[in-house]
Amino acid sequence: MGKAAELLPGTLDMLILKTVSLKPLHGYGVLVRIRQISKDALEIPQGSLYPALYRLEHHDLIAGEWGQSENNRRAKYYTLTAAGRRRLRDETAGWNRLATAIAAAMNTTSEEV
Amino acid sequence: MFKRFRSLFRVLTRRREFEDGMSEELRFHIEQYTDDLVRSGMSREKAARHARIEFGSLDSVKGDCREERGLHLFDEFYRELSYAARLLRKTPGFTATALLTLAVCLGANLTIFAVIDSVLLRPLPFPEPDRLMTIFNTYPKAGVERDGSSLTNYYERRGHLPAFTSLSIYRYGTEIVGEPGSTEREQTMRVSPDFFSTLGLGPAIGRTFTEEETTSETDHVAILSDTFWRQRYNADPHVIGRQVRVNAVPRTVIGVLPPAFRFLSSDARLFLPLASRPEDRTPLQRHSGGNVIQMIARLKPGATLAQAQSQLDAQNATLEADDPQAKMIADAGFRSIVVSLHADHVAAIRPTLLLLQAGAIALLLIGAVNLVNLLLVRASGRVKELAVRQALGASRGYVVSEVVVETTLLTFVGGLLGLAVGAGGIHLLRVLGADRLPLGSRIVFDARLALVALVAAIIMGIVFAVPIAWFNLRRHLGNALQSESRGGTSGHGAQILRHSFIVSQIALAFMLLAGAGLLGLSLQRVMAVSPGFQSDHILAGHILLPWATYPDGTSRLTFVERLMDKIGHLPGVLSAGVVNNVPFSGNSGKSASTVMGHVLRPGESPRGNYSYGVAGDYFRAMGFSLKAGRFLTAADSHRSGRVCVVDEDFARFYWPNGSAIGQRLWEGSEVGKDAEAFTVVGVVGGVKQAGLTEDEAQGAIYYPYVFRISDSVFVAVRTSLPPESLGLALQKVVRQIDPDIPVNDLRSMETRIADSLVARRSPALLAGLFSGIALLLTAIGTYGVLSYAVAQRRREIGVRMALGAQPGQIRSQFFSLSLRLLAGGTLLGVLGTLLAGRAMQAVLFHVPALNLAILAGAAGVTGVVCLAACLLPSQRAARISPMEALTEE
Repeated sequence: MGKAAELLPGTLDMLILKTVSLKPLHGYGVLVRIRQISKDALEIPQGSLYPALYRLEHHDLIAGEWGQSENNRRAKYYTLTAAGRRRLRDETAGWNRLATAIAAAMNTTSEEV
Repeated sequence: MFKRFRSLFRVLTRRREFEDGMSEELRFHIEQYTDDLVRSGMSREKAARHARIEFGSLDSVKGDCREERGLHLFDEFYRELSYAARLLRKTPGFTATALLTLAVCLGANLTIFAVIDSVLLRPLPFPEPDRLMTIFNTYPKAGVERDGSSLTNYYERRGHLPAFTSLSIYRYGTEIVGEPGSTEREQTMRVSPDFFSTLGLGPAIGRTFTEEETTSETDHVAILSDTFWRQRYNADPHVIGRQVRVNAVPRTVIGVLPPAFRFLSSDARLFLPLASRPEDRTPLQRHSGGNVIQMIARLKPGATLAQAQSQLDAQNATLEADDPQAKMIADAGFRSIVVSLHADHVAAIRPTLLLLQAGAIALLLIGAVNLVNLLLVRASGRVKELAVRQALGASRGYVVSEVVVETTLLTFVGGLLGLAVGAGGIHLLRVLGADRLPLGSRIVFDARLALVALVAAIIMGIVFAVPIAWFNLRRHLGNALQSESRGGTSGHGAQILRHSFIVSQIALAFMLLAGAGLLGLSLQRVMAVSPGFQSDHILAGHILLPWATYPDGTSRLTFVERLMDKIGHLPGVLSAGVVNNVPFSGNSGKSASTVMGHVLRPGESPRGNYSYGVAGDYFRAMGFSLKAGRFLTAADSHRSGRVCVVDEDFARFYWPNGSAIGQRLWEGSEVGKDAEAFTVVGVVGGVKQAGLTEDEAQGAIYYPYVFRISDSVFVAVRTSLPPESLGLALQKVVRQIDPDIPVNDLRSMETRIADSLVARRSPALLAGLFSGIALLLTAIGTYGVLSYAVAQRRREIGVRMALGAQPGQIRSQFFSLSLRLLAGGTLLGVLGTLLAGRAMQAVLFHVPALNLAILAGAAGVTGVVCLAACLLPSQRAARISPMEALTEE
């Protein structure tokens, strides 16, 4: 997994909200989906996934409900709540601002100073 | 925030479901991952291993998940709780002692607090009850402390005192209610029309009385209490307009009061207008209260008691200006006083209740000190275990929370047991007659009290934890491990703490014991007071002659004389008499009299005295002693010459040097016509009308019944049989003369006297009980601490004995320690008792705060109990075998 980037602190919640917003997912699904959309660039430590899910559910940002998995097993599916959607919008905007600012800072050349 | 609590609550209530769901979810994850790994070409066995390793520790993930839900705190609490419960179960002796101590101490406090709460604290059941006042007249220099209010006062005051929104009067009474043959005596109140509006609580159905209904021609209306309405009228909603027969006269029901209506301690079930004639309302009648009519008033919002008082004083001054008797009234020290209705009603019992609560709190303190001491001893025994655990990484917070959980568990369970003790205590108070206290029928044990008790128990638990936690944390780890392993003595600080606890405990127990002794001595002194007559073998009952059938003196006298004749023929009757007011009846109104030839000195006021109308052989029936002259006889009611008998207090005051016989006096406060004067023909022993503790002997005059006709009479019968056994026969005789008339309040005179002491006997009994428990607790505490000291110093004692110390020396060393503790405690106790005795003067009767016999007795009892508690541990110390003490560890 050497090529996988370290997750920045605080970004795990945002990533979970984003993946769950696309489609109801169970915990393992969230893991796989993050790996997929980041093209294996982001690796989530499996041990911290579930505490994060429970935290988000406790804060009422996502809601868990038991359902059938693709191979007919009982699995807990998470969907985004209204509060979660608002939070995702805020965090996305915040992230974009931060990323742009950092990118701008990193691209600065000596002449511009 | 709220959502988070809801989520936590949901999880807590369905904890099982949460745990199962979490396990299933994590298992699903690992299996899915395994399947994916198998699909990518790994063997199933290897894949399963790989998946599990990469996931990490299942338990720690679960723990993290629980923490995210805020569950870990509860888990930890639960763990500590079960640990504490296990520890307490392991030491059943300690736990039982602690729980019993807590149960008794909290129960005692709960019991007394229930009384304080219902009598002193809970407001009267009316809107804005703190604005309700009562106003009464007082003539202190005439020996009349309290004289109620007169009708004149009412008509002069209402509407004229701007500090009050309304003002009204009432009088308690009893009336015969019902159809002929099925009559019953009912408690009633006669009230002025504005009575209910003053209270702020009127009839639930119908209306209140009107101004037109306050004359005896127009007052044929009645308002029913809720219980009367339910019992007699089956809660008939159309009761308004129906008739109720009161004293043989029909009255129209005009209203029904709500169920919650209860005026002070009154049991009145029927309310009638307080009717009067215009001549009763004139200024001449202004000072004729006689403590029968009482006045209540409601303060205006914003007005103060002081304003009301000054307005009342100003009005009194204006009105008295043109009173022909103004000088005499002023000489009597006349004033009208405004006080809070609630405070006034409970004023007599207040100091006793506060005293008892102080006693209960002292008991609780002793119990608490005991428990802290026992807990400290326990903690000392676990020093090593704690030190090891702290060395292994138990945090300070953990050590503290463990102690808090343990002590709180203990006090909470003790509190639950205390609720049971409290409920029992309240029952005991009922048996002792607490419902006869003012507002005593309100005493209940309700959820509110239970909640207060449990909260107090939890707070106690937290307070107890403080010294224990301090003790546990204070020790340096290494020190503790070492000092114990060397078998050294305990820390000096902890020892001083324990000893000062014992000293304070002994002091408190001493104070309780001495206080109980003072109350007991006071009770004994009250009971030693002679009531003025021979109280044994007398039965007395109350008879009310209805105005409709007995309108005048002749008819009443006829009834009384027929009654005397019939009772005289009953078997077992020695003598019988009738009086308008029997001693200890609760009615102690005084009236004025004027002695011929007695000149008032400047500033001296006419004295109030008791006035009785007697018929039959009243003096012999009651067992009065004849000091001079003769008793009144039946013939005196028919003679033209007016005669009377006075008691020795009266005779001593007016004729200190000469004989009273042949002297003449008038009823009332003025010199009357010569023909209306009464000649004194006899002097009898003084009487205690209001109660045994009545100190000011104001004297009494006994007139023949015909000169003091009243519709309310008591019949007193002296018998050779047990007095109560005569009750039925007496009732039968009265019914034979008039089937409409019941005899009520049938009690022997001894019972009446005993009942009058209820406010003294119960506190003395409770204080005795408290001090007994306190002594027991102190003994347990002293024993526990000394045993511990001996156990702690086994090794030291062993060494000393090996070096040649005699068992006697060891014994006397511990004994002298207990003597020092006892001396300290006793000294503090004596000081405390002196202070307490001074504070108790209000409830003591002829007992000074400093009573050497009581102090010596209390010192003796505390000393014996404490030394007995020390004996066993000292003996044990002396019997320590050096060999065993030095080799064990």
